[in-house]
Amino acid sequence: MTQVIAITGKGGTGKTAIAALLIRYLTKGNKVVLAIDADPDSNLPETLGCEAEKGIGDMKEFMLKERDNLPPDINKESIFESKIYEVLTEMPRYDLLVMGRPEGSGCYCYANNLLRGIMDRLVKNYDVVIIDTAAGLEHFSRKIIRDVDDLIVVTDGSRRGLRTGERIRELVGELEANVRNIYVIANKVTDVNKNTISETAKELELELIGAVEVDEMIQERDLVGSPLFDLPDDSVAVQEVENIAKKLKL
Amino acid sequence: MADEFPFEISPMFEGERVRKDGMYVELAGPKSKGFELVKSVEMDEIEDGKFTLIGPDLSEMEEGSRHPIAMIYRIAGELVEQDLEAIVERRNHDFQNYIQGVMHLNQRYDIWIRVSKDAMKKGLNSFEQIAKATMMLFKNELPFIEKIETTYITDMAEAEKELEVAMEAYKARDERTRDLHDEDVDVFYGCTLCQSFAPTNVCVVTPDRISLCGAINWFDGRAAAKVDPEGPQFAIEKGEVIDAEGGEYSGVNALAKSLSNGEYDRIKLHSFFEFPHTSCGCFEVVGFYIPEVDGIGWVDRDFTGIAPNGLPFSTMAGQTGGGKQIVGFLGIGINYFRSPKFIEADGGWDRVVWMPKNLKDKVLADIPEGIVDKVATEEDASDLESLKAFLKEKDHPILERWVEEEEEEDEAVEETAAAAPTMQMPMMAAGAPMAMPAGSGGSGVKIILKNAKVSIDRVIIKKSE
Repeated sequence: MTQVIAITGKGGTGKTAIAALLIRYLTKGNKVVLAIDADPDSNLPETLGCEAEKGIGDMKEFMLKERDNLPPDINKESIFESKIYEVLTEMPRYDLLVMGRPEGSGCYCYANNLLRGIMDRLVKNYDVVIIDTAAGLEHFSRKIIRDVDDLIVVTDGSRRGLRTGERIRELVGELEANVRNIYVIANKVTDVNKNTISETAKELELELIGAVEVDEMIQERDLVGSPLFDLPDDSVAVQEVENIAKKLKL
Repeated sequence: MADEFPFEISPMFEGERVRKDGMYVELAGPKSKGFELVKSVEMDEIEDGKFTLIGPDLSEMEEGSRHPIAMIYRIAGELVEQDLEAIVERRNHDFQNYIQGVMHLNQRYDIWIRVSKDAMKKGLNSFEQIAKATMMLFKNELPFIEKIETTYITDMAEAEKELEVAMEAYKARDERTRDLHDEDVDVFYGCTLCQSFAPTNVCVVTPDRISLCGAINWFDGRAAAKVDPEGPQFAIEKGEVIDAEGGEYSGVNALAKSLSNGEYDRIKLHSFFEFPHTSCGCFEVVGFYIPEVDGIGWVDRDFTGIAPNGLPFSTMAGQTGGGKQIVGFLGIGINYFRSPKFIEADGGWDRVVWMPKNLKDKVLADIPEGIVDKVATEEDASDLESLKAFLKEKDHPILERWVEEEEEEDEAVEETAAAAPTMQMPMMAAGAPMAMPAGSGGSGVKIILKNAKVSIDRVIIKKSE
């Protein structure tokens, strides 16, 4: 069975870094991973150290633009599926799929309906799916990905960040998507705020499964924009993400 | 039987993806060339089960390499006919995906195949094994195929040469497909994707009528309904023809009633004024009646200006959408302009007076020659006055209606002219008793008109407070 993990949180909390480190851990452990960049504002490809030229959004546009020029009896789902496979960036032990540009003004009901079926089939090919997604959970409300095993909210040390976790939990309740577990990871934690974070989490009844301390190696790499994928094993963040992965039974 | 193959064959392997890591060889695909083609031939033209390979075999291919592939299947049988070629050809995708370690994507000249390293390790080493397994599946699953012979080509020059021949076959096939019309089929397709926000919407897709969103044609409906008959696209038995010109069928009416929860029980597929198709909100284009010229204008989603009736697309879309049957407005998909039955009940293209230039250019080739220069765009007319002037200057066929209307008015002055001579009224005047369904208020109002000749400009029924 494929384990589907969605990582969300408000901008700047470092959810993309956590996603990248989870993928790093999994691929080292011989798991085959599908990484999905579902946040238009994120930079998962750069963080992983790969490039994705096009995304699913481009392929949806392709389908909308080309549909009247296609032979009438051609199988559109099959074309769309092939187009999705074309935008999969294939890396050792993981594939990356970028959702990409948002929808235009036309009707995407049919394209999204086809996409649901295609994604259902695609996802089954991987041991783990890691989705880096915006806090609005748009792709889940559209049911592009229907079932999520673990939804992880990454937060910084602020109370506001944890509130986002609370809001996302409410949002999940309203979604028709199936989300089994919701967890919180505190990121960029310092000695000063460590205790307050776990207390606030308890107060908001959020399950904190990890606290990643400020990692100088990550800060350095962020500054120059180099990938986090090849961080050494002794990085503080790498080690804590390993603990988290074990808690997630990965 | 499957024992003769070094791989398992099962529908279970459909959707199995061969990743780059695990790929032994890639065939055709976006970075190479290839195609698949099924040709129907006479029984004596082929030898059953024969396989020919032109070019290198799997065992001669280097690990991780990419090659072209053409797959040509010749089929024969008493029941085999040309029209079946496309349907049989489509099954190549299914059957090759049944083979463990083989990934087949897409169709025709866009096929994309990968063979996994694991499959090679287990003993797959020749295209003959794949071809024999595929032929076996063709004959097992499609018993009307009595004989089948296969040629695979992995030599680039030869594959390219044969691709040209195949392209001609696809072209001829497409021409036949385009020639399929409402009267040629027994089944239409319905779609409920829009019902989530337009609960009474009834979307009917026929060979001559694409869905309003422009995304689903009759063949898409057929493909989807076959895979999942309970899914959002499903078959509608056409039933009896009630009005051939307007496109009214008993099966469609019955479906309309159930899908709209009793809101609508008649739909004329090719009519603008009388029981028009409901409009969801996804339509690419909205048509609007212009009473001043008795013609119909069309405006598409991309047009940001104001139509001659003084309204932009967004306003009209708001009026039209929501899954209602709105006389005077109609949402359509762009491809419906290319239909030979395009608003046939209302005079077809002769009734069209205005459309944005971009939209007109898109469908230019499908506008009848006699009318093409007479349909105004925003460059010719921006309001009713300039539109009238343009139509007069070009001698648009709509002018004939103006004359008729003027005469009618002369004859019967006491009959206050209705907004549109062809609106819903003729049905009421027909003399049959008619029951109007009660509104959603559920107070149970029933109005029966018997042998009435009424001309009403507007009826307002309000609950007394």
